[in-house]
Amino acid sequence: MSRSYHLLLSAAVAGLLAACSSTPPSIEDLEVARAVVPQVEASPRAGVAATNVSDARKALDRANKLADEGAKVEDIQYEAQVAARNAQIANEKILTAQAQDEIQKGNAERTAVLAEAREAEARRHAQEARAAEQRASTLEQELSDMRAKKTDRGMVLTLGDVLFDTGKATLKPGAYNSIDRLASVLKEAPDRKVVIEGHTDSVGSDELNQALSERRAAAVQTALLERGVSADQITAVGKGKSFPIASNDTAAGRQQNRRVEMIFSDNRSRVASDVQ
Amino acid sequence: MTTANFRAGLPILGVLTAGVLVGCSSVSEVTRERVARSEQSYQQAQQSVGRSEAGALELQRSRDNLEQARAAMDKGEAQQAERFAQLAELDAQLAVSKSQSASARKAADELTASIQQLRQEAARGSSASPEQQQ
Repeated sequence: MSRSYHLLLSAAVAGLLAACSSTPPSIEDLEVARAVVPQVEASPRAGVAATNVSDARKALDRANKLADEGAKVEDIQYEAQVAARNAQIANEKILTAQAQDEIQKGNAERTAVLAEAREAEARRHAQEARAAEQRASTLEQELSDMRAKKTDRGMVLTLGDVLFDTGKATLKPGAYNSIDRLASVLKEAPDRKVVIEGHTDSVGSDELNQALSERRAAAVQTALLERGVSADQITAVGKGKSFPIASNDTAAGRQQNRRVEMIFSDNRSRVASDVQ
Repeated sequence: MTTANFRAGLPILGVLTAGVLVGCSSVSEVTRERVARSEQSYQQAQQSVGRSEAGALELQRSRDNLEQARAAMDKGEAQQAERFAQLAELDAQLAVSKSQSASARKAADELTASIQQLRQEAARGSSASPEQQQ
């Protein structure tokens, strides 16, 4: 009853003041302000826009008071608009602060991810190095299994006379097992090199012995190449009778002297080809 | 520019209107200063917002309110002029804070995306290494 009276009065006043005001009455602004002001007040980051939040609250309180008193709609509307605008400004400032927080955390995270990637890269390199080491030590292991001797020239594996026919350079089938194993470890370690040396006893002419030692070394080389070992890993030389390892006076000694030696570079870097 | 013509025409129109509307109070120096301050804020906001989409609407509203403030001032309506000036001021501030928050958000999102990309690259790198070893 008194409400409609107020409305009538307001309309009358508004009519009287028509010359000075033109804004149509709307209470929507107050509803908006009542909704948004508590929202920014409740934000944990409200501190970044303290002045706007406080201005919004004061204006909303004034708007509510005016509404309670049944003041002119345009007065209520004005205060409500001031409240809502301040709340919106506060909201944008809060959003900005949140985005800046994210940027700060993101920069730290980015640094961490980059460091992580670098570490992973280093781990990969270490792993590859270990794998290479592993391959190298596989060769070492295989050679020692085959009774190769560690000498200052590198690992030396001796293929005995029994693996060749007498006076011939043809490998007997009994040698194939050793050749197969050597071929497979050499392929596993492509950075390792081997020098194949043929040796003979002192029986017969120098020329004959030299030629035989060269052909025996070449026979082993060919067998390895046939099994897929890279040519640049192998060098074959004939040494003749000049480097006996036992006395040529006994049959047993002469048999020991008829041999093929395979000298493996002891590291991937050094090539032990400069043997005598 | 129509705006310039409009602005130049306003004071003349205002004086005429003020003369006609004797019933309304005349405008004090304080009111004029407030309107001038809002105009400054509007111009600063205009520069700050630039061509950014965020804040463009509020900038336009600030300008509308500023024109209403000038019109009210010219009519001698002090309270109306001050209210519109205040709203123009708040809209200018809102336009600036909106464009600032939009660019901060954009920067944050771009950073998040770049981190995600880095992570993916790192994951690809570590999954590629076992294959390399085989």
